Amino acid sequence: MTGPGIPVILAVQAGMTRQHGCKQRSVTAGFSRKSAVFATVCRFEAFAEVHIVIVGLTLAAERTAMIPQEIAQTIVDPKAYADGKRVDDAFSYLRKEMPLAQAQPEGFDPFWVVTKHADILEVERQNELFHNGDRATVVTPIEVDKKVRELMGGSPHLVRSLVQMDNPDHFNYRRLTQSWFMPQNLKKLEARIREIAKGFVDRMADMNGTCDFARDVAFLYPLHVIMEVLGVPETDEPRMLKLTQELFGSADPDLNRSGAEVMDADAALAQIGATVGEFITYFNEMTEDRRANPRDDLASVIANGQIEDKPLGHLEAMSYYIIAATAGHDTTSNTTAGGLWALAENQDQLAKLKADPSLISSYLEESIRWVTPVKHFMRSATADAEVHGQKIAKGDWLMLSYPSGNRDDDVFADPFAFKVDRSPNKHVAFGYGAHVCLGQHLGRMEMRILWEELLPRLQTLELAGEPKRMAANFVCGPKSVPIRYRMN
Amino acid sequence: MTAYKTWQCTTCGFIYDEAEGLPEEGLAPGTRWEDIPDDWICPLCGTAKAGFEMIEL
Repeated sequence: MTGPGIPVILAVQAGMTRQHGCKQRSVTAGFSRKSAVFATVCRFEAFAEVHIVIVGLTLAAERTAMIPQEIAQTIVDPKAYADGKRVDDAFSYLRKEMPLAQAQPEGFDPFWVVTKHADILEVERQNELFHNGDRATVVTPIEVDKKVRELMGGSPHLVRSLVQMDNPDHFNYRRLTQSWFMPQNLKKLEARIREIAKGFVDRMADMNGTCDFARDVAFLYPLHVIMEVLGVPETDEPRMLKLTQELFGSADPDLNRSGAEVMDADAALAQIGATVGEFITYFNEMTEDRRANPRDDLASVIANGQIEDKPLGHLEAMSYYIIAATAGHDTTSNTTAGGLWALAENQDQLAKLKADPSLISSYLEESIRWVTPVKHFMRSATADAEVHGQKIAKGDWLMLSYPSGNRDDDVFADPFAFKVDRSPNKHVAFGYGAHVCLGQHLGRMEMRILWEELLPRLQTLELAGEPKRMAANFVCGPKSVPIRYRMN
Repeated sequence: MTAYKTWQCTTCGFIYDEAEGLPEEGLAPGTRWEDIPDDWICPLCGTAKAGFEMIEL
């Protein structure tokens, strides 16, 4: 077989002696899944024999052209996301040339790549037609997927949080904490979060005008907030940060458990399994404690929660803690670090923001669009469907590319420009539909408060070195943002 | 005049305030909930109008 993504054009012109009088009709061949798709049949009736001309035979692609292999490799390559431009260029090409097409990077099952903003909404809106839980929710190599299924009794998931659930479980498990994450409940946290934010701003002011904003502030501030909310003691925060970075940075030798640059499926799974195992050990103890001594924290809600009059399943409870303890801060950290990086690189936007603090809310939305810390989620079709004119077959796997949707010039004017006053700004960084980010209001509140405390005190800001992004294709953002600044 | 009310999306928490309306969605300030078309959806998450609940802020 020719490598996927390379269309093979064959012209079989057996016995074709003349073309006039040809009645040409297009036929979509109903061949088997892995065989030819497009055929154009020409019948030369004058000679009472059939001459077949196959003008477009695409191997491995069932219904559409495949995404060129180099681009397919790029969109799963953690290093391309660390580079930034490589992945932006790949998605810019796809949005223009192949907005919804199939990719098959080496070692992966084929999947559709959904690149347009409107198509992402279309898929996410139909959460019964496009499931989260039937296949891996993050793009996963075949070998790793196979081993996860062996380990988990057939399930493609190591954990089972809201992200891996469909209805009715998704509805029931989300309802357990939904009201807790609503803005009216979060109001009670505002004063305490402001106190924490002020502490970090004071710490910055004491750092003699230079720091690594990612490591010294952005990683630690949302971590501290969510751990306090969850009920994890401050002394355990470094451990939680390390485990989070191991989980999301498993492909980054600076952050993963072993420091390895490249790992085979066994090593990768062993490493992630060890991290998840450490989380579970920790939260098992916490569950026992909160069942015996409930407190006013999120851990007590999870430990004592009931779904249809029964306690949460063990895997589901552990997964609830894990998602809160990881996604609950890492995405906000990435956006905070990337937001300040963007201001340092766009001094006109910094000046505009400082001149008009009422722009903080639009600045923070723009920083969320700009960073888009969650790079993708996968869905799988529960029935045959059509999106953007493409026939999606039951069981097909789809990658929803949020950074691509957030650079779609059908929705965002001048999408590669960072504008603190961008309006409207209907980004898809939090997803859409039933699975829209549960913690979005908490994340926004944390960032708004930090900027309200920091920006009035920030007199100058510039980069003091080359910022670096984490190498990851799922959740990633800056891992280092060295800055130089003056504060009052 | 009846006091303005607020409605919240039960999926994502988006709040529609009748007093403020949603000018960017074509809903002028003062647009009452009952005057919003039934096929209107939450601008943040796409939940149907029926998936909103009245709340007091």
